[in-house]
Amino acid sequence: MTGFKYGVSLYSYTDDFGTVMTLDDAFDHVADTGSTGIEILGETSVPLYPEPPVSWIDDWFAKLERYRLEPTNLACWVDTRIQIDRRMSEEEGAAQIAQDLRLAHRLGFKFIRPKFGVMDRELTPDPIWEGAIERSLDLAHQLDVVILPEIHAPTPIRHPVTEGYVAFIERTGTKHFGLMIDTGIFQDRPLDAWGGGDFEAIKKGAPEMVYGTKVPVEHLADVIQYVPFIQAKFHNIDEALHDHQIPWERIVPMLKKLGYAGYLSSEYEGRRDPWVAIEQVRRQHALLRTLEEEYDAAHGAPLAETADA
Amino acid sequence: MLERSHIQSTGFRNVGPEGARTGFEVRIRQANYRSSRLSLIEGVDIIVDGVTYPAEGNLFRLGGKEYTRDELNEATQTRLYVGDYFTVVVPKQGGLTRGVHLVGSAIRYRHPYFPPEFQPAIARNERHATIIQA
Repeated sequence: MTGFKYGVSLYSYTDDFGTVMTLDDAFDHVADTGSTGIEILGETSVPLYPEPPVSWIDDWFAKLERYRLEPTNLACWVDTRIQIDRRMSEEEGAAQIAQDLRLAHRLGFKFIRPKFGVMDRELTPDPIWEGAIERSLDLAHQLDVVILPEIHAPTPIRHPVTEGYVAFIERTGTKHFGLMIDTGIFQDRPLDAWGGGDFEAIKKGAPEMVYGTKVPVEHLADVIQYVPFIQAKFHNIDEALHDHQIPWERIVPMLKKLGYAGYLSSEYEGRRDPWVAIEQVRRQHALLRTLEEEYDAAHGAPLAETADA
Repeated sequence: MLERSHIQSTGFRNVGPEGARTGFEVRIRQANYRSSRLSLIEGVDIIVDGVTYPAEGNLFRLGGKEYTRDELNEATQTRLYVGDYFTVVVPKQGGLTRGVHLVGSAIRYRHPYFPPEFQPAIARNERHATIIQA
């Protein structure tokens, strides 16, 4: 039996980063959760993206070593609706992905998450996605970086978007394209705040984002073989380590049962008052570790592995 | 580092010669969680003491270069980074009076990964800010 790997996405610290938090501070907060992995957003965390100064890259690797963290996923975007009156071509999409694959490789990341522009409310990606990805597979293979589109609310697992990605994997036989699950799809109770937006307007305009997609955790079994990375999206965990929206007490046992041994990378998306995210991420780590330990205790803990380590 | 509010205290000032001001300007931090190609910013409305100055008439300045709305749409390879700010230049004969004003901003972001009907998405902010020199 193997355990989860724990990480944090710096998306969690949105609005703190650049106003009350430096990259050094962020590394310190992530490392102190006991995480082994750090996820960043290329366009947010990398100065002068896509061409950071060499001195910054040196410092990046020095920080990884000092805080004993490994780079996990580099979040990136394919801005298909690039101008008011023009959408990106397949070639431009492929060039964007190539740029992010190279940057990820240079910074030591294992995964990139390109977020494609969408066509509708179900988040159907711009049709260039398939050609742009197919043109990128050789480079991904060469650099050994895996491309992961995100299955994100309100798109469930049993849906043409997810099925289209799975069909692509099965058609190409690639090992360098997979699925990233954002645990926001399991949200089963309403949000009580929205990070940085007009909550009342969102309730009215996009109720599906407020009330939850409510995907049954059993559906993970359909796709888990293609999921090497999970963004552990959450919004509010209280003092009793009770999550108000995401049913971790069902998600964690299902992931354990399915043998998932990849990262749970915290993605806090709740109230954006200064420094709240630091504490929220810590609560999530305490909660997830408790649930994992409870599962292990009930199903034979991996004590031998712990003793060997 | 920058203030938490989108609108910054520093940088709120009149422009043009004293006695013949041509307008005022407002400094605003990147309010998005990732950097934005300038072509994804469809302009910024400014509201001062209840009067709206629509994006169509304002200029956007970044790194010493000024952009009209059409020029923003062409700037696909120039980025507004997180932790950085831009300035909105608002034409107004005579500028603003010395003192504290209620200032609002509405940045029109286009997020390609949002469904088309939610674009542009508006990032709003409001606060008091002070003009030192009329």
